[in-house]
Amino acid sequence: MSQAAATSADLDAAAERARSEGYWDIVWRQFKKNAGAYWSLWLLVPLFMTAIFAPAIASNQPFIYVDGDQTLYPWFRAVLNPDQPVDYLFNMAMVGFFPWVVVAWLTNSRMKRRAVAGRRRVLNVVTQYLAIMAVLCILFLLNSGGGYWLRPVNKYWARSFATEDYEATQSGARIRSVYPPIPFGPIEIDLKARSKGPGYRKPADIQSDSNDRAIHWLGTDNTGRDVLTRMIYGARISMSVGFVAVGIYVTIGVFVGAIAGYFGGIVDMVISRLIEIVLLFPSFFLILTLVALIGPSIYVIMFVIGITSWATIARLTRGEVLKQRSIDYTVAAQALGSSHFRIIFRHILPNALSPALVSAPFGIASAIITEAGLSLLGFGVRPPAPSWGSILQQAHGNYNYWWLIVVPSLAMFLTVTIYNLVGSGLRDAMDPRLRI
Amino acid sequence: MIPTLFGVTVISFCIMQLAPGDPMLSQLSSQGAAGESSQTREAYLIQKRDLNLDKPLILNFRNFYDYRRDLKIAAYYRSLTEQQVAEDLARLSADPSDPEHAARLHFLRALDIEEFNERLHNPAKHARLAAAIRGFVQVYCEDIGSYGVPAAIQLLQDPTLDTSLKIGLIDCINYMVVEAHHPTYSRDPSDDETPLVTAVWRSWWQREQASFSALHPRRVEALQNELAAMVATTSREELYSQMERYDRGDVPFFAETLLGESTLREKVIASMLLNLYVARPLEMNVPHDAAAAKVNEVVENWLVHYEPRRKDYEKGLGGKLTAMFTDTQYAHMVWRLATFRFGRSALKTREPVSQKIWAAVIVSAPLMVMSEFVIYFVSIPLGITCAVNRGSWLDRLISFKLFFLYSVPPFVAAMLFLLFFCYGDYVKWFPMERLHSSGASEFGYLHYTMDYLWHCFLPVTCLSLFSLAALAMYSRTSMLDVIGQDYIRTARAKGVSRNRVIYKHALRNALIPILTLFANFLPAMLGGSVLIEYIFNIPGMGRLSWESIEQKDVPTLMALIYVQAIVVLVSILMTDIMYVFVDPRISFESQGKGQ
Repeated sequence: MSQAAATSADLDAAAERARSEGYWDIVWRQFKKNAGAYWSLWLLVPLFMTAIFAPAIASNQPFIYVDGDQTLYPWFRAVLNPDQPVDYLFNMAMVGFFPWVVVAWLTNSRMKRRAVAGRRRVLNVVTQYLAIMAVLCILFLLNSGGGYWLRPVNKYWARSFATEDYEATQSGARIRSVYPPIPFGPIEIDLKARSKGPGYRKPADIQSDSNDRAIHWLGTDNTGRDVLTRMIYGARISMSVGFVAVGIYVTIGVFVGAIAGYFGGIVDMVISRLIEIVLLFPSFFLILTLVALIGPSIYVIMFVIGITSWATIARLTRGEVLKQRSIDYTVAAQALGSSHFRIIFRHILPNALSPALVSAPFGIASAIITEAGLSLLGFGVRPPAPSWGSILQQAHGNYNYWWLIVVPSLAMFLTVTIYNLVGSGLRDAMDPRLRI
Repeated sequence: MIPTLFGVTVISFCIMQLAPGDPMLSQLSSQGAAGESSQTREAYLIQKRDLNLDKPLILNFRNFYDYRRDLKIAAYYRSLTEQQVAEDLARLSADPSDPEHAARLHFLRALDIEEFNERLHNPAKHARLAAAIRGFVQVYCEDIGSYGVPAAIQLLQDPTLDTSLKIGLIDCINYMVVEAHHPTYSRDPSDDETPLVTAVWRSWWQREQASFSALHPRRVEALQNELAAMVATTSREELYSQMERYDRGDVPFFAETLLGESTLREKVIASMLLNLYVARPLEMNVPHDAAAAKVNEVVENWLVHYEPRRKDYEKGLGGKLTAMFTDTQYAHMVWRLATFRFGRSALKTREPVSQKIWAAVIVSAPLMVMSEFVIYFVSIPLGITCAVNRGSWLDRLISFKLFFLYSVPPFVAAMLFLLFFCYGDYVKWFPMERLHSSGASEFGYLHYTMDYLWHCFLPVTCLSLFSLAALAMYSRTSMLDVIGQDYIRTARAKGVSRNRVIYKHALRNALIPILTLFANFLPAMLGGSVLIEYIFNIPGMGRLSWESIEQKDVPTLMALIYVQAIVVLVSILMTDIMYVFVDPRISFESQGKGQ
């Protein structure tokens, strides 16, 4: 009796859920069932945090530098004036992080009171973060140049505070400085600590331009740069290459595939042929050739991966759109007189996005691998800039320095595993038919 | 198939257009024409003609263009010394509105010299600019090539033209025509060449006959006998050593043999002999201060060049229209690719590209084949084992390991293998690099093979890992799909044994989608081998690609891209054909209808 009641209550609950649940709720529920994928999603958070807070973790610029009656804040100036646009973007994310936490907490609690669904709240908060980042970027870009209080010019870029520190202690002067936990810069060369193993700490009697007190936790490379610092900053490059490249090619692929699938006929034929042709070229070799001919740089890599890898996405989207086009709701939308544009982007695409979205995490993983491979061949980021692949490149042909191989390999393996787990979780959740 | 191939050529062409521009032009603009040696220039010019880089990209309108006006200006600048060009520049910048000056300025601007306008108005830069102009005019002549020859000949025949301009024009036409004369036959002589060869020597003979004394009849007889003997010789070396025996006095005999009635073979030998004693029968160039008579003589020589080739130079409308499409960089590239003539490498070695690629293919292909074997023979049983024991601990273990493998980038695996298995600090089981030990060619057959396999082990493993994992996961899914089908349940219900159902009924159907992946893994492996071969230092396709990219060897690069695309295309085609054999439900006819 009670069993039967429980069953009917369960059925009621299931029916209730089915009425109120949208597609994405179902996907999320399925996704959460997959423990590996769910926890990988959480593991992405520390990965991103490391990338965003890289200068706070590792930098050779002291936060505060007290020299007699003079107090300097070199770290803040350095953070606001990095050399690379990628670093600038991530630094802005760091600057905007704490304001965002406050704003997010406020909006979240307000929405909670109004019983907004969890997924909506997360989406809202993430959007807020992106908006804050965008606002900060624009604000600081407008304020660049001399004379603005918001973005002071970095006038200490030629000074080596570590050396001054050292000389001051030698001469007995009192200097107080506060460094980040790892007081090394990503491109800070220290010729007196070349190719040292993990845990190396310079003997006190050797003077050099780098911080003497600190330990190189993961050793140094062949010009004495700290490997851990370079790994941390390299994460920024890997993350941004992955996201931007995949963003570019998913956009192109979805757009092209949707047009081919929706319009059919000669448009479809031409695009299908184009997809076929692009797929004929071995992807890594094609990317390598293009990057080498255009001129290696991280932005070129993003762009080239973006314009060469869209074909698979386009093919998948085309198939899905073809399927959706013959379903009644599309015919109904056409009968109502909606424009092609509206039908494609409002009605069909939201239902046809799943293959593209499923392949995105895998794409990010493979873009990270591609970038590392290019760097290994010497066609990656420009030399002083840190990247996981360029650390590997230094080890190639010189296997004495095992940490130069093991450390980036491990990082790459973990990152790729995380993305692949998320991807397979997403695939299982979105399309149980594809489950492996 | 054909449209796809066409697309492949278009994309290869576009990629090649990205290659760094004209190395010669950048050289010229940076240091003027004076700095570089004539040898590099010659090599560059040959390479440029080789690749048809002097042609327009897609449509060629040059046959419709009247070059006379431009050529006059080009000749004007080639006839001046650098000093005079600098003076001319001063006049140009002083009075740019004069119609003649305007025409010259227009011509100079079209040459695309760096910062021309700025340098023109700065007298201090005129000397360097003048040097650059002379160089650029030369490149201009080289670029218009044979298209400008009819106009140049017309101008040369114009009696009202200045002698100094004619000297400049002769200078220009020398750059337009690469090899003006054929004093001897080519390696495979044919009768078609006779008019060209005889025209040269007839003209020379008319001019020079007077300076030779007539031969004694006895000598003539002896020479006739020797010529007959030479005609009979088949070995080239013997022929050359025989030729050494004659002196200048015998030239009239050979000239008459060549110009008179004789067989092709006699003519070939006579022309070779003549060329041995008279290296340059017709003077095609003139010094700057030549007299009018000398200039007219050279003009005559150019007419000797022009007359037999008039038909090639002066095309009819149909010929011009055809040339519009066929005489372009793109058309020439398509033709070369379609006939698999990839030309020579741009490196100093000038090795034929096909030879280079072939040498690399015979290194890479065994590796590829081996790893394909490994992939298919390991992954399919793995996938089936997982699918059959679905949910068991074995399935979980294998799936977990496969996922692990799937996440290891092949080149990372390669470097870790090298570090742990080859370097020697840990274990030294495998060699560091290359495919053979040093001195392997002396080994016995068995030893050689074992040595090769020992060297291959790690590269093949690294090449296979990723695809192996992917294919095993895929075959597991595919097998699970089939096992869930009704007909499998029916077979089981009928009492067919478990193994028989799995290996007879399910497996064959599960293999069909796996076959398609054959075509997918090939491009991935071709590309992925770049890194693996780079790390293991194997001189295969991947290493060759990397080297040609690094050394900017454009012809090799283009051939590599094209060849790899063709390989993939062929493998896709093969997969389609295999499909038909494996799956009786699919046939070529139904595929045609389905489209």
